[in-house]
Order: sequence, then structure tokens, then C-alpha cells
Amino acid sequence: MLRYDSTSSSAGSSSGSLSSSSSSSSSKPPQQDIDGLLAGAGYKVRSSELRQVAQRLERLETAMGNSPADFSQLASDAILYNPSDLACWVDSLLTEFAEPPPTCSSDFIVDPVNNQTVVNSAWTAAEPHTPQVHQNITYDEQQSLDNQLTVVTAMEEDSGIRLVHMLMTCAECVQSGDLSLATSLIDDMQGLLTHVNTVCGIGKVAGHFIDALSRRIFQGMGGGSVNGGSAFENEILYHHFYEACPYLKFAHFTANQAILEAFDGHDCVHVVDFNLMHGLQWPALIQALALRPGGPPLLRLTGIGPPSPDGRDSLREIGLRLAELARSVNVRFAFRGVAASRLEDVKPWMLQVNPKEAVAVNSIMQLHRLLGCEQTRNSPIDTVLSWIRGLNPKIMTVVEQEANHNQPGFLDRFTEALYYYSTMFDSLEACRIQPEKALAEIYIQREIGNVVSCEGSARVERHEPLAKWRRRLSGAGFRALRLGSNAFKQASMLLTLFSAEGYSVEENEGCLSLGWHSSPLIAASAWQAVPAWDNHMSSS
Amino acid sequence: MVENHSREDHETGGENKEKRPKFFINDHVDILIEILECLDGRSLCVAASVCRLWCTIARNDSLWENLCFRHVSPPPSSVRSVVLALGGYKRLYTGCVRPVRSRLGRVRRATWAGDEVQLSLSLFCVDYYERLGGSNSNGRLVEKSSPSSLMFLCKPVNV
Repeated sequence: MLRYDSTSSSAGSSSGSLSSSSSSSSSKPPQQDIDGLLAGAGYKVRSSELRQVAQRLERLETAMGNSPADFSQLASDAILYNPSDLACWVDSLLTEFAEPPPTCSSDFIVDPVNNQTVVNSAWTAAEPHTPQVHQNITYDEQQSLDNQLTVVTAMEEDSGIRLVHMLMTCAECVQSGDLSLATSLIDDMQGLLTHVNTVCGIGKVAGHFIDALSRRIFQGMGGGSVNGGSAFENEILYHHFYEACPYLKFAHFTANQAILEAFDGHDCVHVVDFNLMHGLQWPALIQALALRPGGPPLLRLTGIGPPSPDGRDSLREIGLRLAELARSVNVRFAFRGVAASRLEDVKPWMLQVNPKEAVAVNSIMQLHRLLGCEQTRNSPIDTVLSWIRGLNPKIMTVVEQEANHNQPGFLDRFTEALYYYSTMFDSLEACRIQPEKALAEIYIQREIGNVVSCEGSARVERHEPLAKWRRRLSGAGFRALRLGSNAFKQASMLLTLFSAEGYSVEENEGCLSLGWHSSPLIAASAWQAVPAWDNHMSSS
Repeated sequence: MVENHSREDHETGGENKEKRPKFFINDHVDILIEILECLDGRSLCVAASVCRLWCTIARNDSLWENLCFRHVSPPPSSVRSVVLALGGYKRLYTGCVRPVRSRLGRVRRATWAGDEVQLSLSLFCVDYYERLGGSNSNGRLVEKSSPSSLMFLCKPVNV
């Protein structure tokens, strides 16, 4: 805990103050020895020690710059001296940095933005939102150090870190089967949640993970269907997720750009959408096709989606809406809906692809659902990929979460998910529109629940990173198409429109990924089927 | 113009009023349009509150079309029919082009000028589509709180 020692005469348990201890002894140092200028600013430093203190401050500065992780250590365990006794203070800090902190294995998980806002307010008057930890601690900045450090934020910070530790321990218990300890940890964590700000930051994400863990423990390994919301609910949540943050917009715009370029020169085009939802991706494509030089092609759209239980034909409704839009902009349009509760139930004949038309297959976060746990020869993913290849599409656009949530070991998966969803929640903080933000959070929360508390066929959120998808798709007879500079430019522009400054687009061997503060969260790529005879010759 | 008028009156005295023609800008709509074409969006909206004639002219979509494509190369003719179908240039400008331009303008990349309009058009189209949806949805939860994909453009920017 952070303790503030206002009397300069206490020696403190973390010693190491060498020559300065003499100055902090009970007898007051002679007044004329104190440097006058610094005294005017509130610092008592003996003139004879000025040079040494300055050197130590420089060392402290480099030490702080070199080990940003130590800040959390400082905030939670350090006993700090009154900085007006500069010599003592700088020595105590130097000893903090001299010893390596106890293994804080959750360093990488602690929400970096939150961590730094707390630390920054404590140490310097620097801008609270800078992601950089490097602070040049100069004399001027120290003057603005508040003597009354806010203990509450430090305690929150500490609780946040403890929460993360406990989450990891609990996950480990779950993995090893020690459910009684896991249960007691859940109780402790829920108690700890009351000390933490659950409106934002680590507290919010931790709350969702605690829920998911407890669901996992109390429902057994079968896992309830966390994703059991109705199709209608899911569509609403998806729509709000679309509005609240740029991930889906990025996915749609990037995929559309690639499809538009692939359709260049073709007069009959057919798009197969693996998850139609409200069809928000297609108006922009229809408009772009309407305006393409040479006039629009005949556009057919086949939308796949879950069947609606209550007789509403939601697919058809969306199709009608899109058709109305297409008619307004004079694009010949035909829509077909394929209702299937799982993608692997779709057979290629249902899509009625005409051999003369150019086909584009669009999969926004759908392929990972096919990665069932059994890695057999005819796993769903292989079946689907092979019939996609059979369609010989001009382009297949694949957008997937850039995360490794399909590892067999629960603890690894849990750790990855904690990091990934913390980052995603961070990025959501920038959204100001309600209720979009709240519903978007529920959308993400459902994903978390599925990753953490479901197993077997119930666990559909089996995200894999781009590198794995590349191997998988190349092995299935596809080759990568580069997304091109237009897509990159458009993505960058789109991001600039979003008010938060933390989003970044990166290009990675022809694929684009969108991330928050350079942690990629979603990756878009484009593929084309390798002609059969090519594959035959190079097949292993 | 009003000042000129009264000065003329003053100078010429009463008898010569009929001989010296009064100049009303409203009599010369073509000049008025030329002038209004030079205005920016906000001024154009203000101009629409001057009088009925100005209001009618300022609502003319071609003025707004001019605004949208002012700094870019002239678009192909097919753009007009698409934009009109999606709601018109005034809506395109006020809803999309202006906020897009102002936000992207801060970044100041000259290469984006033409693409700003393209992006605005795409966003405009999504917005039109969502407005279509509001009218014939089943009225469950969606109606008033129907999310709008342009809302993120309307909110103040967190710099």
C-alpha cells in the first residue's frame, strides 16, 4: 500500500539512503546549508549535496525510463518519502528500482491506459492520456507533485492488479479441476469488485470474466449456451456493435473495396454473404457498383443467416430493403436468402451459383465457428473450404478476430482472452453514443462468455490468429490476394473519422489489420482459389 | 445594396426616382445564384433565412452539389442520380461531407481530397439504407432508438 511519510526523520524499512540519512536524522540541518533557490520552491537540499542529488535524479530518470513495469510496483508497495526532502526521496526511489520487483506475471494484462493514468497523476503533471510511460522527471515537474497522493486511486490500482492475479489463479484451478478453491476465489473476487471502479477499465472487463468463470464452474463442462440469445437479439447487438466502434465498419469497407476491385470488368456478379444480419455491408457496395465507370453489373446477393423462429422471414425483409436501395440507384439486383442455423449445414447447391458469373464469398467472423474441437479429416472447416473452392470464386474476403482463443489448454485461452478483451473494452471507452455503447458491450460480453465458459460444440468463438488462417487457407488451395493501397487509404480515412486517437491500421503481407494502440484486434484478408491443376501439381 | 439604394434616393432627390433604376438583387436571380454558389455550408444555411426567394434558391440542390465537389475534380454524371436517389446533396453535405471533411481536414492529407467525397457517399448510402429500415421494421425495439451509422459523425470529437 502506498504510505506517505511526511516526516523526513523516519528511516523507513526500505533503507538505502546513505548520506541522506544524516540529513534526515532528528537534528535539523543548519539553515545556511540549505540551498536557497530550491528552498523557495519547497525543496530542502543541502548545497553541498546538490551535485550528488542531481546525479541521482538523473539515474532515477533513466531507471524509470528503462523499466516502465515497475510503476505498478511503486504505486502499490512503495513507502515513499516526502519529496521536499529531495535527497531522501530520490534515494528511496532508486532502491525501489534497484531491486527487481516480485514477479508480476500479469504485467502484460493490466490495462496499460488505466495504469498510466493513475501513475501519471501521482508522479507528474503530464497529460493524463499519453500512452508513453517515459517521463522526464525534472525539477519543474516535481514542483507540481501533490503532497496528498490520492490513496483511493492507488488502492484501486492495487485491487485491479489483485483481481487479475486472482482471475489467473482461478483459471488455473479450473484447468486443474480444483473447483472448490476456484469457487472461493470467485467469492473473493466478487468482493474485490466492490473496491474497483466497474464503470471502466480493468474492473469492467474483470466483472465479465468473473461471471464467465462462475458460469463455467457452476454449469459443468457442458456449458450453458451463452450464445443462446435469439437471432433477433443477436442482430440488434451486432448492429449496435457496428455503430459503437469501427471494427465492423472496417471489415465491411475493406471487404467491399476488395470485392469491387475483383468484380472489375464483369457484368454478372454474385456475392455470397455468410452472415447477412441486417445487411449493413451491402449498401456501400451497391452504391459503388452503381457509380463504377461502365455502369453497374447485374448483382445477385445470397445471404445466409439463422432461421427466424416466429415466422418472420428476416432474411427476406433485408433482401427487400436492399432491393429497394438498389432500385433507387438503378442497379439490377436479385436477392436470395438461405436460412441455416450452422454454416456447415449449407450446401453449395443452395446458393445456385451460375457458372458464368463472378462470385465473391464474404465471411465476416464466420469461419472460426467451423473449427470444431475434433481435428479430423472431414472437419466442418475443410468441408466448407472445399465447396467454396469448388465455386471458384473471384475473391473470398475473410475477416477474423486477431486472437488465439482456440488453444486446447484453458489457462492459455483464458489469458489470451483477458488480454484481448481488455484491449477491446479500452477501445470502446472512446465511444460516447448510448445506448450503442452499452449494447456493444453486451455483444462483447457474450463472446467472452462463449470463449471462457463453453466447451465442445457449444463453444463457437474459436478465434485464431491471421498466421494460422493463412496456413489453413493456403493448405486448402487458396492463395492470398493483396488488399491494395486503396483499401489501406480508405481504412485509414475511416479511422480518422472515429474520434478516438488510439486506432491504428497496419498492413501485413497484403492483409490489413485494425488495432487499438498497435495491438491488432481484427484482421482482413482476401483469397482466391488456386486453379485445380496447379494444386494437383503442387499437392503433397 | 440597401445603403446604395438609400444614397441614390438621397442624392437624386425625389423627382428623379423613376429615371434611376433601383437595384434589387432579388431581381437578378442569376447573379444571386452566382453569389450564393461561393458561400460555404453554414453561410448558405443562414442565407436561407433571409427571405422566401433566398430560401427557395438556397434549398436548390445544385448549390449543395457545388459545395460537395468544390475542391475536387468534377464527378461523373452518374453520381447525381445516385445522390438524388439517396436523399439529395444538401443532406449529403450536411450529414456526411461536412463532418468528414472537417475531421479529415485536421489530418491534412492532400491525397485524400477526392476520396473524402467517396467515403462520404458510402456512409451516406448506409445511412439511407438504415432510414429505409426504420420505416418498415416490425416496430419491436428498433423504432425511435434505431441506431444510425452517422451518429459517430455528429458527436463532438474527443481531441
